[in-house]
This record gives sequence, C-alpha cells and structure tokens, in this order.
Amino acid sequence: MDRCGTLQENGSLKSKDMNKNISLFVFLFLVIPIYGIAQGHGPLYGLQTPTLAKGGVDLNVAGMSLSTEDDTSYMLRYLFSYGITEDLQVNLTTPTMIQRLDNAPRTRGNSNMPANGDIEASLWYRFFSNAFGVGKRFESTAILGVSAPTDNIRGQVNVGNSIHGAISTGYASRTWYAWLGGGYQYYLERDNEQLGDLPYASAVVGYRPNIFMGDYPKPDWRVFVESVAEFPGDNQYLGQQDFTDSRSKKVLIGPSFLGLYGAWGISFGALFPVVQDLTPSAVKEKYRVSVNLSYWL
Amino acid sequence: METNFKTKEMKKITLITIVAILGTFSSYAQLQKVDQEVFGMDCAPCAYGLERGLKKMDGLQDVRVSLNDGKAYLELSENNGLSLTKIQEEVKTNGFSAQKAEVVIEGKLNTENGTPQLKTDTETYNIMNDASDDLSSKLKPGTVKVKGIVQDEEDGSLSGTWKIRVIEIL
Repeated sequence: MDRCGTLQENGSLKSKDMNKNISLFVFLFLVIPIYGIAQGHGPLYGLQTPTLAKGGVDLNVAGMSLSTEDDTSYMLRYLFSYGITEDLQVNLTTPTMIQRLDNAPRTRGNSNMPANGDIEASLWYRFFSNAFGVGKRFESTAILGVSAPTDNIRGQVNVGNSIHGAISTGYASRTWYAWLGGGYQYYLERDNEQLGDLPYASAVVGYRPNIFMGDYPKPDWRVFVESVAEFPGDNQYLGQQDFTDSRSKKVLIGPSFLGLYGAWGISFGALFPVVQDLTPSAVKEKYRVSVNLSYWL
Repeated sequence: METNFKTKEMKKITLITIVAILGTFSSYAQLQKVDQEVFGMDCAPCAYGLERGLKKMDGLQDVRVSLNDGKAYLELSENNGLSLTKIQEEVKTNGFSAQKAEVVIEGKLNTENGTPQLKTDTETYNIMNDASDDLSSKLKPGTVKVKGIVQDEEDGSLSGTWKIRVIEIL
C-alpha cells in the first residue's frame, strides 16, 4: 500500500475511533443518569456560591469535552455533594475518561469539577449570606479542595496531587444572577517534575425571562453568559533547558442554560476562546462543551 | 393468677377510657395555619428542598411553597405539636431566612405584666397593643382563636416568644 493510501486509512481509522468515542460518550451520558445523577443550580463553568441545605444530597453527572487544535477529549464526571450544615458542603468528584488529550490545557472544568482526570474532594464554606428579599440574596463562598490524578503523565510531565482554593461572591434573585470569583490550583512535584500552577477568575451573569417565571413546581429555566480567564504556568520537567516561569493567558466566553424541575436540573453550555496568548509549549483551544444533570435527594 | 391478669387489664382499659374522655373535652392550644415568608429562595430545587424538609415534620396536613410569593403555606393538623420556632428553624436549615408569618392560632389569652399574651402548648405570643379599640375590646381572657401577623425575629436566636399583631378574631 502506498503512503497516501496508508495516510487515508489512518485518517479513516481515526475518524472511526472518534465516532466510536462520541457514541460511547453520548450513550454513557444518557444511560448513567438513570441510576442516579448530577450539578448545582448556578453557572456551568464559573465559580458559584450556593450550598446545599443541612443534610441535603446532590448527585451530578457531567459530560465534558474539550477540543484543541490537536485533538478532542471526552470525559464523564460524577459529583457527590452533601450539606454538613446549610453553609458547609463537602464534595467528591471522580472521572471516567473516554478520550484523554496528549497535551491537555491546564484548566478547571465545570465550576466544581476538574477538567482533567483528577479525583477531587472539596469543602465549600458559605461564609457570608444575606437574604434580603423575596428570592434575593447576596452570598460569598470559599472553596478548598485536594485532588489526586488518575493518569501518571499529562502533556509528557509526571502529574502530582494538587490543592485548589477559590472564593466567589454573588447575587441571586428570581430574575437576575451575577457571580464573580477567583481561584488557584497548585500541583505538587512528582518525580522531579511538576505541572504548572493555575490562577484563574470567572464572571457570570444570568437572566430568567418572564416567560420562565412560572411558580414552583413548574419548570424553571435561566440563561447565563459565562466568562473564564486562566493564566496557567509552564510545566517543569526533567531535561528542561531553562525554565522561564512564563504564563499563558486565556479568556473564554460562552452561553449556558439551566433548567430546573422539582429535584432535577440540567445545564448545558459551551465556552469559546476570545484571547489565547500562549507560551510555546501550550496548546491552542477550539472550544469546551459541557452537559450536566443534577438530582437533589 | 388469671383473676390478677383480668384486674390489670380492666385497670388499663379504664385508664385509657378516662384519658380519651378528658381528651375530647380539652381544646388544643396550637398553631392551625402558617403562611411563612421566606427570603432568599430563588430556584426550584430551593423550593423543593424546603417543601421536603417541612413535609418531614409531624403535624402537617398540607404544605405548599411558592417561589414567586416567597412563602411557605402550611396547614397544620388537629392536635399537632408544631411550633413556629420549629418551622422557622427548618427554613434556616435550608439556607434561607424566615421573616414574618401570617398565622391562625388557637390559644389561651392571659395578661402578664400588663401585656396580653396568647399561649399555645409550646409558645407564647405577646399581643402588640396597636390593634383597633374594637378588636382589643373583643379579646377576652380564655380560649381564643385569632389570625395575626407574627413579627420577624433574628433567625439565630428564636426563643419561642413572639410578637403578634392581631388582625382578626375568629
């Protein structure tokens, strides 16, 4: 077989693999929720503030995809949340990686889930809350998490455990929502290599049109415009000539939608890069897509 | 031995009958209806969580939560042991703030230190003295049933003593 034929065959195989992955992703996403589900009632990507009721349980399953100029990743992620008090919530999230990226951008995924194959446990503490009207409240929440990777190598660098801290503040009403937040993830060194850190910030504005102002228990929809800014540091690895400690700068914006009905919630949305000032080793992103199902026990 | 057993059984039945008869004659001093205002509840799962939490309490006949009104509407069953404190604590447990409540109460009216008080089995409602003269003159000591607005108290320091503005004697 000539080289051209081999290339065409490889391309066709890759396309078949891709289709298989997408089918598996869709299948698992549709099937797994039947056994118990998935996220919060805020934005999909940006940091948020709501915590569960005391004794409340929230089960989530999310399907996440991130596309770069090289390849596209697919992941299912499960999140279990429990309200220790009405202001303190514990979370545990685990991934099922369907297709990993060889060179994965360092980013957070959904608002309380990592975008990569990390298992993460976190505590949310709503340290300020002022409910000042019907459906209206200001609140602020601090997040502290630890994670362990399910992969040994990410972007050809050994992956270590990480710690993540974030803070967010927001306003919620029956019509308008707004959240601002910032966070930092730090990967520990493993076998003399270390993933770069990740400072980031997010801003979200949400709106519920009059048409969706039906009272409980009618379905409840809202739309968000979400924005995330990330400043991932470069990795350090063995044999590196000189570590310059430089950072990429990325800003992504996109819409998301949240529908709530009784104990169920579904959110879906996408982010598209509008600024990508990358270091030479960083990979260019094309889009991020996510779907999330929630069930409150 | 068999006679002893029969005597014991008879005593038990007599005691149960006396308690049942006395129970029929006594009227319950209790909350009968509560429209509880709730601040900070913005979404369907919030309403769902609050409704579910309230439904877990014994003594409720019906519960309805409205996001648009920002209220939980509770119909209490006869002989319930519920208190407004318990209801408001449930609101707080769900992460919201309980505000004033419109209530229907049947209780014993007394005057203590010059303040008319309505007492249920579990709580005390101090009647505010801004009711109309007509309404005030109708409030006589003894068992009364009133509709009123219970004033908001700090969520973190509920003592079971409330201030109520009586709006109707039922």
